[in-house]
Amino acid sequence: MKRIKSKISTKYNVSVILVMAGFLAALVSCEDQIDPVLEEAPPQLVVDAWLNNQLTGQTVRLTRTRPYFNQGQPEGVTGASVIVTDDQGKQFTFIDQNNGSYGWSPFQDNMVLGEVGSTYQLRIELNGVTYSAESTLNPVPTIDSITFRFEEKDFIFPDSYWAEFWSRDLIGVGNTYWIKSYKNGMYLSNPDEINIAFDAGFSEGGNIDGLYFIPPIRDLVNPIDEAPDDTFLSPFADGDSVFVEINSISNEAFIFLNEMALQINRPGGFAELFATPLANVPTNISSSDPNEAVLGFFNVSAVEGLGKRLNTDEVTRTN
Amino acid sequence: MKSILRVQLLLLISSTFFNAYAQEKFTVNGYIKDGANGEDLIGATLFVQEIGDGTVTNFYGFYSLTLPPGNYTFEFRYLGYLTETRTVELTQNERIDVSLQLEGQQLEEIVIEAEPEDINVSGVQMSTNKLDIQSIQKLPSFLGEVDVLKSIQTLPGVSAVGEGTTGFNVRGGSVGQNLVLLDEAPVYNSSHLLGFFSVFNPDAVKDIQLIKGGIPARYGGRIASILDIRMKEGNKKELTAQGGIGSIFSRLSVEAPIVKDKASFIVAARRSYADVLAKAFTDVLDDGAALNFYDLTLKTNYDIDPKNRIFLSGYFGRDKFKFDAQQGFSWGNTTSTLRWNHLFNDRLFSNFTVFYSNYDYKLAFGDNELDKFDWNSEINTYNFKPEFTYFINPQNEVAFGGELLAYNFEPANAVGVSNGETRDITIDEKNALETSLYFSNDQNISDKISLQYGLRWSNFMYLGAGTYYNYANIPPGERRPVISESTADNLELIENYTNLEPRFSFKYQTAPKSSIKGSYNRTAQYIHLISNTTASNPLDIWTPSTNNIEPQTADQVALGYFKNFGDNDYETSVETYYRQSRNQIDYIDGADILINEFLEGDLLSGEGRAYGLEFYIKKNIGRLNGWVSYTLARTELKVDGINDGEWYPTRYDQTHNFKLAAFYETNSRWSFSANFSYISGTPTTFPTDRFEIQGYTIPYNFTNSRNNVRIPDFHRLDISATLNGKKMIGDKKRKNEDYWVFSIYNVYGRRNPFSIYFSQVDERPLPGEVVETQATQVSIIGTLLPSISYNFKF
Repeated sequence: MKRIKSKISTKYNVSVILVMAGFLAALVSCEDQIDPVLEEAPPQLVVDAWLNNQLTGQTVRLTRTRPYFNQGQPEGVTGASVIVTDDQGKQFTFIDQNNGSYGWSPFQDNMVLGEVGSTYQLRIELNGVTYSAESTLNPVPTIDSITFRFEEKDFIFPDSYWAEFWSRDLIGVGNTYWIKSYKNGMYLSNPDEINIAFDAGFSEGGNIDGLYFIPPIRDLVNPIDEAPDDTFLSPFADGDSVFVEINSISNEAFIFLNEMALQINRPGGFAELFATPLANVPTNISSSDPNEAVLGFFNVSAVEGLGKRLNTDEVTRTN
Repeated sequence: MKSILRVQLLLLISSTFFNAYAQEKFTVNGYIKDGANGEDLIGATLFVQEIGDGTVTNFYGFYSLTLPPGNYTFEFRYLGYLTETRTVELTQNERIDVSLQLEGQQLEEIVIEAEPEDINVSGVQMSTNKLDIQSIQKLPSFLGEVDVLKSIQTLPGVSAVGEGTTGFNVRGGSVGQNLVLLDEAPVYNSSHLLGFFSVFNPDAVKDIQLIKGGIPARYGGRIASILDIRMKEGNKKELTAQGGIGSIFSRLSVEAPIVKDKASFIVAARRSYADVLAKAFTDVLDDGAALNFYDLTLKTNYDIDPKNRIFLSGYFGRDKFKFDAQQGFSWGNTTSTLRWNHLFNDRLFSNFTVFYSNYDYKLAFGDNELDKFDWNSEINTYNFKPEFTYFINPQNEVAFGGELLAYNFEPANAVGVSNGETRDITIDEKNALETSLYFSNDQNISDKISLQYGLRWSNFMYLGAGTYYNYANIPPGERRPVISESTADNLELIENYTNLEPRFSFKYQTAPKSSIKGSYNRTAQYIHLISNTTASNPLDIWTPSTNNIEPQTADQVALGYFKNFGDNDYETSVETYYRQSRNQIDYIDGADILINEFLEGDLLSGEGRAYGLEFYIKKNIGRLNGWVSYTLARTELKVDGINDGEWYPTRYDQTHNFKLAAFYETNSRWSFSANFSYISGTPTTFPTDRFEIQGYTIPYNFTNSRNNVRIPDFHRLDISATLNGKKMIGDKKRKNEDYWVFSIYNVYGRRNPFSIYFSQVDERPLPGEVVETQATQVSIIGTLLPSISYNFKF
């Protein structure tokens, strides 16, 4: 059922619409888990540095790549110096937690990391090699409201409640966002729930500037889950809460997330006909030593969020 | 060196013309037709006993042969038909139109009147496979639906990305490098249901020819192959209808004379009917939801007089997927062709074609006016194509002509409405004009040596109106930013390309039933299919060559040995080819190919090479007949920005490709057929490592390579049995014919791999949770599929 699920969650995504025909093909296509032998490769440093302007602790994680089928926790890289500076000379020193995480707290230096328009430099020193990256903090629009709507039972879903967030892309072409959502405090972390926007639409070429985020983006805050009997559940039930968070991201980060989603959000089944080849995601981190390659990404976001709890009595049953 | 060759060529040509007039000669010409229904017979032979040579009919069933005066015995022959012999005293030009009668289907006696021709050996054309519709209909097919495109995949040198994918690959070419012609008009998307079925109604198809190499000068515009599909003209003798009910389509075609022996028509329609049945059982489709596909083929022709014939043909097909009345997706082709055959004199045959071809798709989302998205895209082609064949003498047949193609591309007409506000995100139309002129001669130098040589000149103009961009020259592999933009007025020339495409083939007859053939051709392609997914899909757009996209060109050399055994009972061939191509399009990772004004910044350009060895054995006669083909091949690309700029195999590179098609006729009403394929694993990319970013597990390939491993081999057996209806009712011969076809696709239910993908096991892991990873092998058809179809003809 995974493929149907991912299809519906991106109901409007045109490339996935092709999978309509998959309903027929799903009857005959099938999947098997296999254990191919993969080539071995030396581990490489990975920098996971997504910071924001919130009044909470900020973390940079340093790990190493490991064989694809290694099923344990990634090994943390300790002993590095991790410093973020901004273009006004402010310096944020991240403290080694001795497990691969490096933390900084707004209360440690009594300042906030994140001023819209500022450019931030990440500088990591490890074993005599310097790894550096840059990210500009872009503005983020506020969320006007969150609404719920009721939809009657159809051939896939039971009677169900769907959330939508209402926010308008900032005027000017080239704003990029990562929209994260939470149901009852749980982050919707499924690869097919990655929700990114270029202006109010999906892509740069689309050029939908200054509008309310278009419906597929607005709708992608709904978890699509199945009951144990494989039937679909209503995304929200009475009393459930939704929280939506818009993170401004750099255009490079948009490209990174877009390619990451292509690589990890695998539709499976018949839809594999229309998959793109496996490729490495880009990085914006550079290494001072060409022999010490590095992966990962550095981005600083401004964040706007809003939550709402579903009270079914308040939802008009228009349908 | 070049100029010497040119002079020799000129001498050769002028000497042939000179010879033609050296002595008084007379011409015999006419049409060879099927006596039962008046259909033109393409490739029928006129054999002149006295000279031990002859000619074959062209696509319109026309032949012309010029001989010195004398007494001749002409044999008009076509496989499966009784040979017609005429003795003629040639003292003046003669028009001889011949109708051949189908040989009796008295299988008990196994009397084969007409001997199979040895054109595969004696003709100069190599790398060409012809399939008649009877063979195509006998092949076991997917869900019992006879499929023209799937049938050519049993031929050597032809492959596909996988089961259920659209299109086909010829000698290392991509899907968009094949010119698929339906009665001279190009068909841009040849698939229904995303690739499971082809758009050609077998009841309306007469003959198909696939040209993989030694492409004659009259064809151009794509670099890999030509698939020339000819539709039936329609029965000129009597009203007939045929049709059937299969598991997917129900079909009906009607053909009849309008004026007996002079004008006729055929109308053939197919429609999937699952939705019609479903309506009885569910109300899901009541709010306008739909899932169906259909096609309609029409053709009519009129023999005005012995010198003039006209043909009007049309095709209309569509696939529809609708969620409800407002939302959905549909696509389809429309072609219409008007042709006029005119005989200027006994030896100068001409055909003028005018066609219009369109491919479009439409998408609509949003069930209310406040939030919706409408998008359509199309390509329109208008064409004028005059073609002439001058039958100088038995030694020379000159063809010349040209083509004028006007293209109009509408990459995206799109409007988005969000919360009541509208944004038009339409991308400018693109216009282009493709012109070509060609000349070629088929020359028999001696009994043993024949040549076909020609030249095609082609030109492409990318025209305004519209905005065009220049992109920065950055290291390839990433999106190239726009550095400047310019605006062109309507029909203003933006970019211009010209190519000279030499074509050359030779045949050397080593023995009466064996020959060696070789060929060289250069081909140029000015419009490109933009597709970055494993299989092509209906949303893929065609785009012209522009100031940023150069035309694709290819050179192919091929050499082959052809030998027949017995009375041409067995045909065998071995061919080898090497093909080099330039300006092959590839894509940056994460390329955005839909509704992207700056698409050209996401394209990469590289070169290709393909080489292979093809074996083919065909048994023409006997109860057990059929063919075996085996191809050993390699197809690679080298693109800056992919695989570190090193050669890598394409997704459809198949080292071994073995195909068997067998037919068995019995004395009873039963006949059987089988189809077996063995294809070695196609390339794919595996990761080496994993890493985590923000809780997401990302695959990583340390060497950054493309297509570095191969998926397991593919093999499949399909069988089918045909039960012919009783020929007699009591002691009366039945007027109607009918037959049942029972088939099983994938008899031993093998889960043939299509692809392998890597993903995290837990779809929504909790923070800090260990995320497991897995590899999944996908089979498009993972089970055996039985089917039944009923077919009738009256």
